[in-house]
Amino acid sequence: MGISMVDFDRFLFAFTIGSHILLVSVSIALALLLSVFEFLSARTSDRYYAAFARRLIRPFVVSFGVGTASGIVMAVELVNLFPKFMTLVSETGVIGVFYVEVFAFFAETIFLVVYVYFGRSFTRRYARWWLTVPIVIGTLLSAVLITMVNAWMNTPNGFDIGAFMATGAVTGVNPWAPFLTTSTGYEVFQVTVGVPLAGIMLIGGYFALRHLRARDPDERTLFRKGLRVTVALALILVVLTILAGILEIEGLYTYQPLKYAAIELNPYPGTGLSENLFGWLSGMSVVGALQIPGLQGALGHGAYLPGLSQYPSSEWPPLIIHDLFDAMVLGGVLIGLFLLVFAALWVTHRRPFDKRSLAYGFAFFGVLTELVMELGWATDEIGRQPWIIYQVMPVASAANYSSALLVPGILIIAFYFLLVPLTFYFMVRVFNGRPLDLDLKGPPAGHDANY
Amino acid sequence: MPTTNGIFYVNFAIFAVFLTLFITELMGAFLLLFWYEKAKRRVLEYVVPIWEVTGTFAVLWVVTADFAYPSMLFPVASLLAAYIVLFLIFLVARNASISFAEFIIKRRWLDEKKLYQAYAVSTLLLGIVVVIMLSAIVSGAGVDLTALTFSFTGWVTDPGSIPYLLGVLILGVGLAPVFYDISELRRWTLPLTTLGVVIEAVALDLYASSFLTWVFLVPAGLTVLPAAAYQHPGLAKAVTNKVLLGFVGTVVLFSQSYLVYPTAFHGGITVDSVTTTGPMVGAYLVLSAAGVVIVGALMGFYLYVAYRSRSPPAAGTPGPA
Repeated sequence: MGISMVDFDRFLFAFTIGSHILLVSVSIALALLLSVFEFLSARTSDRYYAAFARRLIRPFVVSFGVGTASGIVMAVELVNLFPKFMTLVSETGVIGVFYVEVFAFFAETIFLVVYVYFGRSFTRRYARWWLTVPIVIGTLLSAVLITMVNAWMNTPNGFDIGAFMATGAVTGVNPWAPFLTTSTGYEVFQVTVGVPLAGIMLIGGYFALRHLRARDPDERTLFRKGLRVTVALALILVVLTILAGILEIEGLYTYQPLKYAAIELNPYPGTGLSENLFGWLSGMSVVGALQIPGLQGALGHGAYLPGLSQYPSSEWPPLIIHDLFDAMVLGGVLIGLFLLVFAALWVTHRRPFDKRSLAYGFAFFGVLTELVMELGWATDEIGRQPWIIYQVMPVASAANYSSALLVPGILIIAFYFLLVPLTFYFMVRVFNGRPLDLDLKGPPAGHDANY
Repeated sequence: MPTTNGIFYVNFAIFAVFLTLFITELMGAFLLLFWYEKAKRRVLEYVVPIWEVTGTFAVLWVVTADFAYPSMLFPVASLLAAYIVLFLIFLVARNASISFAEFIIKRRWLDEKKLYQAYAVSTLLLGIVVVIMLSAIVSGAGVDLTALTFSFTGWVTDPGSIPYLLGVLILGVGLAPVFYDISELRRWTLPLTTLGVVIEAVALDLYASSFLTWVFLVPAGLTVLPAAAYQHPGLAKAVTNKVLLGFVGTVVLFSQSYLVYPTAFHGGITVDSVTTTGPMVGAYLVLSAAGVVIVGALMGFYLYVAYRSRSPPAAGTPGPA
């Protein structure tokens, strides 16, 4: 049983990006938390918040360093694995989106470097917090701009698509159009709230476990304060993520109706359709699904919703995306409910931070949120198959068929299997590197870094 | 024609800045490997706050190159695929090891020294891969543009290749004590730098006699000058100024553009014929102009803060929190 080079290219890129977004979610969350703790420290002069900022910057530098290199790996992989795709990207305005992304990346880098290595020369009360603001904006903008490229892949524009399909020539180029496609707003909103949520839940889960195991009063106070901040942020982000998800699915049936039909497992179009939870298609009948009559129609505001029968089956994406989507929604609902229970206990002074079950629950839901984020990304990408650029360029036309990629590709996969766990290990190790009492007293003499 | 030149030169200028920053790291890597205890403070004081910036310039160059030469993406990716993968692996190893090293507290056998030296090894290997790829692009050694293959045997048996690589490494070793102001190694700097320049000149001549013209005298002179001036303690402070040396390095590298323009791969590819055209030219130039302003302002801020933090506080100024 062999694997075709197209499938190998697909798998390699999916594997790399799947690993990369784990690092990205934690990186964005760390930047956000760092900024919040700096703000709280400046506002309240609370030494625990200051200690948190001091501790978080270390794993942030690690995640930034590895994440940056991993981002370059992906950018180069795109050229190596899908050269015809990247050629079209470079002949149209999409490359401009990448170009602007580098500016955001620059802002993030410079302010990070200034904050980490020269931050102590900023002695005014809010000055250090101000330094973190461009880091957060730059980090988020990098994610936003790369999402804009993904949006263009789903809803391409900015060149004469008809002429390209007919002749293969790129004409009628508008270099600025890819900055705003039909799906840009939906996707950007989803990513700007969903990705930080995943990272914050994971970090919150770690804080919950550390709080549970802490014996030292200072350590308990530190992690309790950290948990409060992460729970508050997660609550805001989970509400926004649900809203973004609803908006995106509503947008989907107008700009990618086939993907919508596959996600919802609608054999036929119509109004007032049932919501199919899991299940599969046998012929043109839905089998094994838990059906909720009328729910899909109600969520679609009574619109005429698309069905698979409207498209030739050769164009259908793999229908596994229906299960991936349902698993993602189920996971999202559970995460939302968990946070709701946590918040209710917090508001009613029932000390949720001290409950063993909730601490383990937080750790579990932290990991689950990362999984849900991966499922969301997989739904989006598999849902576009067999296209790399929706209805313009199939993956099979874009791929590199050279078998010379096999060995280097396997090397990269092996390398990532080592790199990702090692990075998380080092992030935890440097977070705990300095004894807490020293971090509570203030920054170390000399430099924060080892030199 | 002038527009095409503009696109090439913008891209090449970014490349020159990136390569200068990378070479300064490479020089630090030599010292970290062979002179760790004595050189670490001076090297790390520079390298630790700069490695992220070097990486960012690398990304900027890659993206602008994709923008400028869309039709070259496939040929270059096919030609150098294996070396690009090696480059990526060493790059990740470099970033990971230095970011781990910065904040690690020693436990058992793993400490900052081992991680900084791992960074130095990764940087050195990265440098060797970069030099191999660059020399292939300049000379066409080992390259078959018709079959889109690159043969390492073909590259290594070209008479210019080994001297080219050797020359770069010797130059790095020779200039490292100047850049990092390691006075104990002063006496080695001028002979090694001069030797490096001579070997580079020989390598270029061996690749193609047309590569070695009178133009080479300018970068050669600018390269040897700091090493010569460093021999005089009175001039040492001036020539070890990193901003000044960085600027000179960028000028030297930028002056090498004639090696790849108007043709790269030793006449194999005419750059103008693979440069982007149409409305993308305007977009490239507009975004590049915006980039000059944004990146210029950010780098200005960075240099200002770095300079300020190294200056002793004025009397009566409160110390850092």
